[in-house]
Parts: sequence; structure tokens; C-alpha cells
Amino acid sequence: MTTTMIPKKKTKRTILKLLRLLKLRTPLSLLKRPEMSALLGLALVALAGCGKTIRSTETLTLYSAVSADAKAGTWSMIVLTGPTQVALAAPALASDPGYQAELVAIESAQAAITPDQQAAVQYWAAGGALRWNEELRQLVARQDLPPSPNADGSYPAPNAANPFANPQFPFSNPPYAARAYSYVSVAQYEALKVAWYYKYQYNRAAPFKSDSKIKALMPDNQVPSFPSEDAVEAGVNAVMLKLLFPTNATEIDALAAQQQQAAMIAGRATASDIAAGLSIGQAVAAILSARAATDGFKAASGNSAIWSQLAATATAKGEVPWISQDGPPRPPMLPLFGAVKTWMMQPSDIINERPAPPPGTHSLAMSGELGEVRNAVNNISSDQLATVYKWADGVSTPTPPGHWDFIAVPYITGALMSEVRVARTFALLNMALHDAGVACWDAKYLYFNPRPSQLDPSIKTWTGLPNFPAYVSGHSDFSAAAADVLGYLFPSGASYFDSQAKEAAMSRLYGGIHYPSDISAGLTQGKRVGEYTVRFARTDGAN
Amino acid sequence: MGSGFKIVPDPKLSVSSLKLVLLAVMLTAASSSELHGQTTEDGIMLSKLKYCTGVFYTYDKWDHYWEGPLYRSNGNIGAITTRTISYIGNYGLTDHINLLITVPHVSTSASQGVLHGQSGWQDSSFAVKAKLASVPIGRMGALRAIAVVSGSIPMTKYTPDDAPLSLGTQSKQISGRGTLNYLRRNGVYLNGSSAYTWRGNVQLDRPSYYTNGQLYFSDEVAMPNVFDYSVGGGYRKNDTTLVVSYSQHQTRGGGDIRPQDAPFVSNRMNDSKIGGTITIPLPRVHDLQYWVILNHTLNGRNVGESNTITTGMLYTFDFRRNGSKR
Repeated sequence: MTTTMIPKKKTKRTILKLLRLLKLRTPLSLLKRPEMSALLGLALVALAGCGKTIRSTETLTLYSAVSADAKAGTWSMIVLTGPTQVALAAPALASDPGYQAELVAIESAQAAITPDQQAAVQYWAAGGALRWNEELRQLVARQDLPPSPNADGSYPAPNAANPFANPQFPFSNPPYAARAYSYVSVAQYEALKVAWYYKYQYNRAAPFKSDSKIKALMPDNQVPSFPSEDAVEAGVNAVMLKLLFPTNATEIDALAAQQQQAAMIAGRATASDIAAGLSIGQAVAAILSARAATDGFKAASGNSAIWSQLAATATAKGEVPWISQDGPPRPPMLPLFGAVKTWMMQPSDIINERPAPPPGTHSLAMSGELGEVRNAVNNISSDQLATVYKWADGVSTPTPPGHWDFIAVPYITGALMSEVRVARTFALLNMALHDAGVACWDAKYLYFNPRPSQLDPSIKTWTGLPNFPAYVSGHSDFSAAAADVLGYLFPSGASYFDSQAKEAAMSRLYGGIHYPSDISAGLTQGKRVGEYTVRFARTDGAN
Repeated sequence: MGSGFKIVPDPKLSVSSLKLVLLAVMLTAASSSELHGQTTEDGIMLSKLKYCTGVFYTYDKWDHYWEGPLYRSNGNIGAITTRTISYIGNYGLTDHINLLITVPHVSTSASQGVLHGQSGWQDSSFAVKAKLASVPIGRMGALRAIAVVSGSIPMTKYTPDDAPLSLGTQSKQISGRGTLNYLRRNGVYLNGSSAYTWRGNVQLDRPSYYTNGQLYFSDEVAMPNVFDYSVGGGYRKNDTTLVVSYSQHQTRGGGDIRPQDAPFVSNRMNDSKIGGTITIPLPRVHDLQYWVILNHTLNGRNVGESNTITTGMLYTFDFRRNGSKR
């Protein structure tokens, strides 16, 4: 076949003409072939294709703490009776041959450091408590998947005894996540206070200080090295995270091992510092694990008799009971989570902090609220819609509690906190978030109030509708509690936290998820719950 | 425009975009319709100083979709319907270079559950189409090669984060397409076309997102590129077309929809479809053509099993004669 490219010349001419028309200055050489269109396409394409790589880890700046917080061993405990509840024998003396061998091992490791190890040192140098919080948000988002329905319209339940089965355990919905963030954060904080107690009791100098051949590859945190705080974190986080997210054990163990190795290669801890830290972390994790086993969470899912009773109770009060609007209808999310043990509140406090009942489902006030929701949904602005998606925090996300941990991060790094103070910040924040979750769930299932879209099916939502009763708003409750605690810890950010809490709360009205009264009552309750933690923080010895 | 489009954010949209692509292809065909004397179809360009334009309406619906490889329905959405009204224009800059534009307005809705539909202007696309070669084959036919470079850009700040109800991906895109076709004077028509589309990153309104096995601590989403091709054949003569086609889209990366989760903007959205195109010249109205395009999804991954119908009319103006021809 003879392929006579008759139009070639003409095409070239017309393309050149076109380019002149478009005032494009393209090298003539590019136009010498008819395939120039393709080339031009490729060039344009290269422009569109650049910058595709998105960092998957949080960008954190390295800093040196302004204070070592040498007295942290005396700060108030939350679950432990005191630092000596976990015993730690004295380390070997600096002159001990075994210890000297450990130092030499660090010298060798530094001499043979690999690019991967350097990257790991950089990663962990930003702060172990921050990095483990990042991992926790990762795990929550990964496990934040509701079970798919069975063919018969029923739903399987995740099983802690068989976590890898379908659906995987856990489904880390907001209450599960709030509890998980709090257990991990409290365990880490308790363990680091124990570590600080022994650090200053034994006062072993960091390897890079006792051996001039060892370089400090991480910022100098000015604390004695025995026991290693990095190993404490690795130990306590590995145990707690594997308890709460068992299907991720391999990833969790690898991270824990990496953190310990990074601390050693960075010249921060020797093998015996690390072994001691690991033992403390694991011992404290065991204490917190025992608490978790008996905190009431295992019963929080309820059973079909309890679910029916909730509806019957609301009906008996003359109210329209909440029903699931999932298709097919799904059992309510964790109806007994309101009875789970809290950190800073007594069971009587939960009752005392109950909000007054919402407007009756048949009341004029309620039809007014429905009108407000309809109006918000139908007249939403593009900014409000963006707010809905900013705060959706639904399936496959770190959930609202994780969102507030994220908000805290730049304030933590900006305050140049010691490791134990970072842990305190996360513990205080997440205790308040958990307690707010419990108080909120108590109200939700006490009142069993329908969602706007149930009372008025013409109301459609701009994001996924959570599968639990409306009153009070979880977003509002979580956010107000978090903003209250963060505002206490970082007064300069207080008005920002407050504005974020209100924005999060209002996003649920714009989205058609909540009535105005859900939001105002949730904000009020959240702030009151947050104050329980703030009262503890005022007198915990850390100020 | 035919080129840029295969890429769609949500399952339901994939259909509409696909049809847009086809549409664009046909558009070209349409414009050439008046050139009875020559060969036709894709290889044929709209001749100089002519403008072919019209409005198309597309109705797309699915009630089953592929969650990764799993074929399922979902009681939270029921059937997803996407309605698109597109303004289309093709201008003959020269006999060998055409400029094309598409401006779509999209509305989505779900038949079950509580989710609100979205509505608004989606992504406008612009394309430069060039005929590279025309090779006579025997006396009765010719093989033509065309290249298209196109780009699309979101017209509004619609959210990409509400799949499967989002209007689109909110990604800026550039696409390169090559087409070969053969047309015989007796109406026998064969066409093959393939494109690669580069997609720019997308920004979400939230600070982190989970996809493809991990949580990304960023509001920026990397969008995998897309490869597509289609082959078709049939009859095309005297403004009358009857063509069937098979097409595939392949997203070159991206994660699967997770169990019971919503789709995500950068999901690996693949599909294969069969389609048909009919054009009919309207009696007594010269240069006006009626179009019907049908598509059915045969298989897919992270897309809806959609059925699509597109219909509309295209009219050709001729500016060589001092304004509109008629």
C-alpha cells in the first residue's frame, strides 16, 4: 500500500497559521512533522501532570523543647496511682562494660546508617507522640467503614474475637474513635510521666553526651536517657493500637520497631535505655487495657430487645421515635455508649449534664425547626456547602475527634513542648472528646429523637446521614469540648477554636443533618463537659 | 472535545462523559454531513468558515455499580440519574483545523435514601482538531488520520467530594487523541480512536482523605491519568448514520471504592461499553440533523452500570457567504 501523505504540507501550513493566530511561539522544528499535534499535546500534558505526588505523612517541623519538664514525674496521674506503680530497677553505671558496648554499638550504627534509617530518624525526630497520633488517625480512618448489608437485609457485626472476618473489627465510628483516641493518649501520657519520674531519679546522660563519637541526629530534648521516651512510646502505642485496631498489627509493630531503632541510631538511647522504656510502655498499656476491658464498651451495641425498647419508650412519651434511614435499615450505632466509663466525669455527672428535652416531635417548635432546616438546605451557599464537606468527617475519615487532634497539631508544635507535655495535650484533649461522646450518646438514646429527614422526607442531606438519633449533635458536642480544652491550653488560639467549633456545628444544619436545637444544646453540653477536663488540668501540677 | 473527556469523577458521570466523547466524535461527523461529494465521518473536517452547533440532552441512569470488583446495588442511593444539557460548537478554522467547544450543565439525583442531588455548570472543554492525512484506498474509499488536542476546565467550584452525586472531578485535564477511519462511498464506515488524558490534582475542602490503602494528610488529591479507546463501524451516507461502537476507559491508577463507602474522586474508574449512533437529516431543513446516541455499560470497576441516551440537533452555519447560509 502506498501511503501518499498528500495533505501533509497543507496541514503544516494551516497549523502554523493557527499558531500564529493564537500567538503561540513554538519552535519551528516542532512543526516540521504532521505529528506535531501529538507533540504539542504531550507538552501541554507535561504541564498538567506535574506535581502529582502528594505526601502521605503529616508535615511537621523539627524543634527543640523550651523546657524538659523535669518535674513531669510528679504531675497528677489519671489512671495509675503514681509513677512507682510501675517499677524500674536502676541502670548500669556509665563505666559498666556492658553499657560501654552499647555506646560502641551506636557508633557503629551511625557509621553504617542507611538512607532508609536516615529517613526514619527524620520522621521520628518531629516527635513520637505527634507521629503516633498521626498513625492513630490513619488507623481510625482505615477502619471507619460500616458493615455492608447481608442479602436478607440484615447487617453482620464486627467481632473483636475474629477481627479479620468480614466485616473487620472494629468499625471505628465516632464513638469508637473517641474512645480509642482517649485510651491511646492517656496510656501514653501516664507512661511518659512514669518515664520522666525514673529519668530524673537515675539521671543517665544521653549517649551523645557521654560519648563524643556519637552524634545527635535528632534535636536535643535535654532529658536523661534512661528509660528512653521513644521506647516508652513505642511500647505503649504498640500494645494499645493492636488492642484497638488488631488487624493492623503488622504495620503497628513495624512502626514501633522503627521508632526504637531511630532513637538508637540518633544517639538518643542505648539498648538498655530502650529495653527499660519498652517495659514501662508495655506495663502501663496493660493497666489501660484492663480498664478498657471493663469500661462498658463491649455491651455498647445492645441487642434487638434494647433497640425495640428505645423506640417503645419514645412512643410511650407521645413522641415519634427515631428510625434508621439507611437502606436497608441498620441497627442504631452503639446505643449503650452513653454508659461507657468516662475519664473526668462520674456517672452522676453524665446525668447532671443531660440537656433538657428537645422540642416534641409534634410541637409547633419542632415544625419551626424543620422549616429552618429546609430553608438552610434549600438555600445553601457555595461557602456553606464547602463547610459541609470540610466537616463531614463521615465514613473513611479520622472522625470529628480526629479532626480536632489535627487542629491541635500546629499549636502543639508551635509551643515547643517537651514530649511529655505533648502527650499531656493529646490526653487532655482526647479525654474531653471521649467524655463528650459519652454524654452526647447518653442524650441521643435517652431522647431517641428523629432526624429532620425522617420527620420531613422532603429534606435531603448534602452529606451522609449518621445512623443514630439527632439530639444532641455529636459534631457540636465534640467540637465544643475540644475547643474548650484547647482554648485553655493555647489561649492565643481560643477564639479560633471557638469559631471552628461553631463552624463544625453549623455545618450540620447547612447539611440537613441537624436541627438548630441539636446544635445549640450540643455546643452547650460539649463546653460543660470540656470544663471537667480543664478543671483537672488547672491543678495537675503541669502549670 | 471528543478527546478530553473520558474521565469522570463518579460512576454515574462516567457515562455522561463518555457520551460527550462520542458526541464530540459525532459532532465532527455531523459537520461533514453536508459534504456528500467527499468521503465523510471523522476523517472529514468541517470545512473552512462553517460553524456547526446545537444543544444535546443526555439522560444517564444506573442502579447497580461495581464497588471495586464487586457488582452490587445500594439501598442508600437506589438509582443515580444524571441529566446533562450541553451546548456544542465546532468551527472550521480551515479545512484541516477545527475548533470545538462543549459547555455542559449537569444535574444529579438519587432515587432512594436521603442524599441531596447536585446541579450546576460542570467542565467546559475546548479542542483543536487537525486532519493529518488522507489516503485514498482504491477508488471508492479513503483512510484518514486525525489528531485532537483538548483541554477541559471546571466552570464552577462544584464539589468533587460528594460522589456519586458530584457533578464532576473538578480536575483540569489535557488530552491527546488519535483517530483513524475508513469510509467508502457506499457508506461502509470503520473508525478507531484512542486518547490519553492527563488530569491535574484536585483540591478538597477537607484536610485529609483516605484512599488506596492510606490516609493522606493533605487536601490535595493526585488524579491518575486515563487511557481510552473505541472502535466502531456501520453505515454513513448522505447525512444518515447508523454506527455501533465498543469503547473502554482505563484509569491508570487510583484505589477501589471501599466496602459500603462512597466513591472517591481519584478512584480507579474503568469501564467497557457498547453504543450506537443514529443521525437523521430532517426533511426539507437543509443542514439540520437529528441525533440519537445510546450507550450501555458492559463491565466496569468503581463505576455505575449505566445506560445512557443522548439526543439533540445540530445546525451548520456557513460564514463564507456573508453570514448565515440560510
